[in-house]
Amino acid sequence: MRQTVPLCHLDDLADGSAKGFDPQHQGSDTVFIVRSGDKVFAYEDKCPHYRGQTSLPWRKDAYLDPFGETIVCAAHGAHFEIATGLCTAGPCLGESLTRVPLQIRDDGCVLAELNDNNVGGESP
Amino acid sequence: MNIIGPDALVFGVDDVEACSQYVTDYGLEPKGNGRFEALDGTAVIVLPKDDPTLPAPLATGTSLRKTVYGVADQQTLDAIAAELGKDREVKQLDDGSLEAVDDLGFVLGFQVTVRKALSLAAEVVNAPGSSALRPVNTVGVQKEASPKPRSLSHVVYFVPDFAKAEAFYADRLGFVTTDRFHHVGPFMRPAGTDDHHTLFFIQTPPHMQGIEHFTFHMGGPTEVMQAGTNMVNKGYQSFWGPGRHLFGSNWFWYFKSPFGCNMEYDADMDLHDDNWTARELPPGADNSQAFLFQYREKWAPMGPPPGK
Ligand code: FES
Ligand SMILES: [Fe+2]
Repeated sequence: MRQTVPLCHLDDLADGSAKGFDPQHQGSDTVFIVRSGDKVFAYEDKCPHYRGQTSLPWRKDAYLDPFGETIVCAAHGAHFEIATGLCTAGPCLGESLTRVPLQIRDDGCVLAELNDNNVGGESP
Repeated sequence: MNIIGPDALVFGVDDVEACSQYVTDYGLEPKGNGRFEALDGTAVIVLPKDDPTLPAPLATGTSLRKTVYGVADQQTLDAIAAELGKDREVKQLDDGSLEAVDDLGFVLGFQVTVRKALSLAAEVVNAPGSSALRPVNTVGVQKEASPKPRSLSHVVYFVPDFAKAEAFYADRLGFVTTDRFHHVGPFMRPAGTDDHHTLFFIQTPPHMQGIEHFTFHMGGPTEVMQAGTNMVNKGYQSFWGPGRHLFGSNWFWYFKSPFGCNMEYDADMDLHDDNWTARELPPGADNSQAFLFQYREKWAPMGPPPGK
């Protein structure tokens, strides 16, 4: 089943920053959004390295490198392109983060289309 | 070859401030110049990626730039220089240490160990029938505690050829294999320690070569739990644990880190000598831990009694 869930307002997302969300109340973030200029990209918070069993950041919302240029999995340093989710370096080279489709309403509200199984990373 | 274990791990990182805060929160003591020490003087050294004093990075971009081993004495250093000098460059650095590159490309340092002898009790548990108990009227746990890492325990490398790695450390540096995971790699200890492992290899494709995790020994399982809980409360994110490994019997709790590798707390690792015969198991969840838990916020079954 798919559901459309509001995550935040565009103004909550500073340019060049990322933010994690727990829309299905799993107890830890399962989806994150990266804002780059006027574009926003959302992915499931699951690193492909261990088949999606672990989440990416070392601290809440720490999804990007210090320069805001690339998405990083802190566990083993995998790098992912912000715009595509493609892993360009690290353990899961060539694999991709799972895209979460977003809708942006006229009032700036950001909604995510979630599958019921958008559950977050657990330890392997 | 009387190598005792890792004295220091040297990192070159993007975000020096975040990494320095992280290792401080982990419990290491800042000593200046990027050096963060455990109680026995073993350390993590955090430098900016482009620091000119750092050895060149691996092509994979792993943040670990050098593993520095502590050895018993100058004689051991001379023996290492002679052995490795047979087929590679061995640099003598200004501080008297040696620097050489292993057969996989990891930069190694060797120095007369800086480890201070510690005299600290381990966690003592009370159990019927045991003669080693806590003194009477001594409580076992405090609500708030910030246990300090005692000693740099082990480092784990992702390697493209674990057999080549194992041969180098065994044949050239006198490490002993204590246990192994099939097709994954061996746990190894140098001759100068009884610890189950100070080094473990995980076979991976070449583009992954680098550090997987590193860890310091804590005083016991309660310290692992309390130090890990403190990390969670400071906002750091667990990767795996807490739990207890089978090979080595060490309690573990791994956290993701801004170093781009995991950092662990461990305690109560098995000790072995040359009478031990290495075991071998297939890798996987079932053989890598006796049990595994996941952190949960403090909770207690409390509240008003149920209505009639
Ligand atoms: S779990 Fe993400 S890089 Fe290993
Ligand atoms: Fe470990």
